[in-house]
Amino acid sequence: MKMIRNRFGNLSRVSVQLQRHVQQMATSAAVAPAEGATINEFRTAVANPGEHSALQLAKFYTIPAEQKKQIFTGGGLPKQYELQIKTFTEACLMVRNPALELLEYIKGADLTKPVVRYVLYGENGTGKTLTMAHVLHYGALNDFLLVHVPWAPNWMKRPKEASNAAGQEGMIDLPFDAAAWLVHFKNQNGKLLQRLQLKTGKEYVWSKRESTPAGSPLLELVEHGIARIKYASETTAALISELKQLSTAGQCKVMVAIDGFNAFFHPITRIFSDNKQRVTPDRITLTQPFLDITNYDWTNGVCILSVDKIAMTEGYMDSYMPRYLLGQAGFEHLDPFVPVHVDNYTDKEFHSYINYYLDRHWINKTPQGFEEQLKFMSNKNPYSLMQLVRAL
Amino acid sequence: MSTGLTRVWERLPLKKQAAQSGIRVFSQQQPEIEDEEEFRVLNLRTVKQQFQRRREVRRDPVTPPRTNRMAVDQDWTAAWPAPRSFHPASVPLPLRQGFTERGAAAPSKFANAELMKIPNFLHLTPPAIRQQCEAIKKFCSPWPKGLETEAKWQRHFPVEVITTDYLQSLPTIRNLEARRVTISLKLSDLKFDAHARDKFLRLVGDRYNKDTDTVTFVTDRCPLRKQNYDYAMYLLTACYHESFVTEPWEASKSEADMEVYLFERNQSKIAAEGILNWSAKEGDNKISPPPAYAQCVEQLINEGENEYNLAKYKEEVKKMLNV
Amino acid sequence: MSFLSRLAVKSSGFSCIRRMSVYPQHYAEPVVQKNKQIEQKSELAKLHHVPIKAAVNKASDTVFHDDTKEKMVNYITKKGNSALARSLLSKTMELIKRTQTEHMNLAKGDDKDKINTNAETLLKQAVENCRPLLQVTAIKRGGVNYQVPVPITTKRSYFLAMKWLLEAAREKERKVSLPEKLAWEILDAAHGQGRVVKRKDDLHRQCESNRAYAHYRWS
Repeated sequence: MKMIRNRFGNLSRVSVQLQRHVQQMATSAAVAPAEGATINEFRTAVANPGEHSALQLAKFYTIPAEQKKQIFTGGGLPKQYELQIKTFTEACLMVRNPALELLEYIKGADLTKPVVRYVLYGENGTGKTLTMAHVLHYGALNDFLLVHVPWAPNWMKRPKEASNAAGQEGMIDLPFDAAAWLVHFKNQNGKLLQRLQLKTGKEYVWSKRESTPAGSPLLELVEHGIARIKYASETTAALISELKQLSTAGQCKVMVAIDGFNAFFHPITRIFSDNKQRVTPDRITLTQPFLDITNYDWTNGVCILSVDKIAMTEGYMDSYMPRYLLGQAGFEHLDPFVPVHVDNYTDKEFHSYINYYLDRHWINKTPQGFEEQLKFMSNKNPYSLMQLVRAL
Repeated sequence: MSTGLTRVWERLPLKKQAAQSGIRVFSQQQPEIEDEEEFRVLNLRTVKQQFQRRREVRRDPVTPPRTNRMAVDQDWTAAWPAPRSFHPASVPLPLRQGFTERGAAAPSKFANAELMKIPNFLHLTPPAIRQQCEAIKKFCSPWPKGLETEAKWQRHFPVEVITTDYLQSLPTIRNLEARRVTISLKLSDLKFDAHARDKFLRLVGDRYNKDTDTVTFVTDRCPLRKQNYDYAMYLLTACYHESFVTEPWEASKSEADMEVYLFERNQSKIAAEGILNWSAKEGDNKISPPPAYAQCVEQLINEGENEYNLAKYKEEVKKMLNV
Repeated sequence: MSFLSRLAVKSSGFSCIRRMSVYPQHYAEPVVQKNKQIEQKSELAKLHHVPIKAAVNKASDTVFHDDTKEKMVNYITKKGNSALARSLLSKTMELIKRTQTEHMNLAKGDDKDKINTNAETLLKQAVENCRPLLQVTAIKRGGVNYQVPVPITTKRSYFLAMKWLLEAAREKERKVSLPEKLAWEILDAAHGQGRVVKRKDDLHRQCESNRAYAHYRWS
């Protein structure tokens, strides 16, 4: 499935080439309805996800560019959606039911209780990742430290590099991926970390000469991991255990968001060990800290996880239900969790999306009944709709 | 050459004339020959002139069917005492059977192969059965008291034993199949605890039918029926008593060996208790997870996932965690 | 021209032509699109008692259908893999639309309305711009091959235009994908620039310079 979402690289070359035509273009095409006012019936000016309610249902809100850059630079939006954002020159998200439901839970949560795990599930292309993005935006605006894994299966399926872990026997390190995640973490939380002045609780000894003393800022720990890629995995583990302790102590709030969480419980990975055998996910050093932080034994945080069919491989993709995708071990790890179903568009959402496409001049052909045709062809599935209107 | 021809010509004066006049002459001459003598037939073999007439087979006149003479109130069991293929003259019924073209009546019973092909039960009329029952009554004992209804006799005799007797025209009267004994009983008639029931089912294996809740033993390994019956009863008894024995190694039954998911045995319970008793101190009363939640987790896993079970699970989790 | 040639064929008698169609000649072409049916209502009324050919498999009356696009798909197809051709063309359309839409959303004021984001009209425009009027053909006179300008049918001119566009798009480096290059060529041609339009102009120029040989066509 992931492979079907093929991307068009090198688009910029075309656009550069065409820059010169743009000025002298005379068109004979039908011009879409003029957009004078920025607020149409399908848009909302409420850009703070904290204030979203059923009033804004099926309406688009815009994520400001700098916030989008802060949260989603290291991933978190699907590739196709990123492309769409670039084309439409604005980062718009639709306010949808599952996100509203999650926001309601998070706002009403008692943070002194152990973390509640929310599990997003749904068919392919229904918007699990974007629901998560919406909630992440809320978290970033409300001083949550974001522990965000944009797409966990990447570590199991196509790691940059795999090497044997130094300390632990039989474990596999993914130094580059761990470092990339640390960069992502720093991007998302850099400012907040500086403001909160979080300190490490114990000393971490990396090697004979290198160590991070107790009481040093958390940011220093992160930077160490980025600078010394060899220790990135260990740093990640240290960082996450620190975050757990700090948030339990009440010094910060943590929002954990892991997309494709079921990849941690997949029977095998595509990484080979020394004896040319496939490694199970629990033998990757990155798995442990993220399983640890999704456990219920800490407070002052929320966990938003998504289970996805396409995080699995051939033969394990029969159903999109959480118990099936997580398997026995995963279910026991998460139970009790709150499943949140992400469904296809409702009629209202669909209509709103079509309006948005029309407004952005993305649909240029509007013969009679085209909306019904698209509705029928896509079954109101967001991703299918996106694919269908590509060439319209 | 020409002199030769003239000679021939002269020899046949008559023919010459005829050819010249163009009139056929044969018709004039033939009657003269007939008159002279009769045509003689060549008789190579001596054939007897007169035919021998075929001898007529003397048949008795067809007697009218017996049914004409039957009294209206005759004893039918005497007329048709035993199984027999259909005979039209003996059956006083206007039967018709067989295919015809549309509109025509079906062939009557006389000389009707269709009626003879099919089996008949004319010897098993209700009066005949009644008569025979009366006749064998003197050999029967009275029906036991207290077993009037099916429910009652099933309660008193839960085990059903099935054997088969064979009659055959072989030199031997034994039949190998006659030794086979089948006993079956409802599992609900046996008293078990949870462990014993589980173990009994494992011992019995595919002899238990889940749909009908019956256990069936079929024994045929001994040469005599009596021995097989004893063996079947022994098996039942042994399995029953063995199921109550708990071996020391049974304590090591792991989760993978379980037939059903039990909330009590699982990680889910520990996790739920851990969450509910998060801020509790040592010595406080432990809050245990609500039974409704336990039930819906069991349902989710035992029945398999579907939207309904998952929605129910969600509701219960939300209730338990106060979200 | 095509009209004349058809007349000529007709007058020469039916018996000599070997027609490959399964339909007899008096069968009418089907009109699948509903809006076209409404447009040509009066003409179609005459066809009430005329047998009509069955519609082809891929003809449809949806938003996704367009005659030019269908033709283009046919030309892109290699070895009967029209599913691939279709996806390639739809990617091309997407790329055209992406560039145009991005420019439009970045543009300000009046420029905004000037930018055409409709990839289909752009494709049609491109094909129109690339259509040649004449063609040269080699005719031998006195042992010398002359490049003689000849007129071409409308249908052939459309064919040549699309073929040239495709040829231009296929002349690329391996790293560049066909949709990318095709989008590029179409956008260029739609604005009256690029290699294909130049190729057409070159052909016209050659016809113009060889105009003296034109009479070789009939003498």
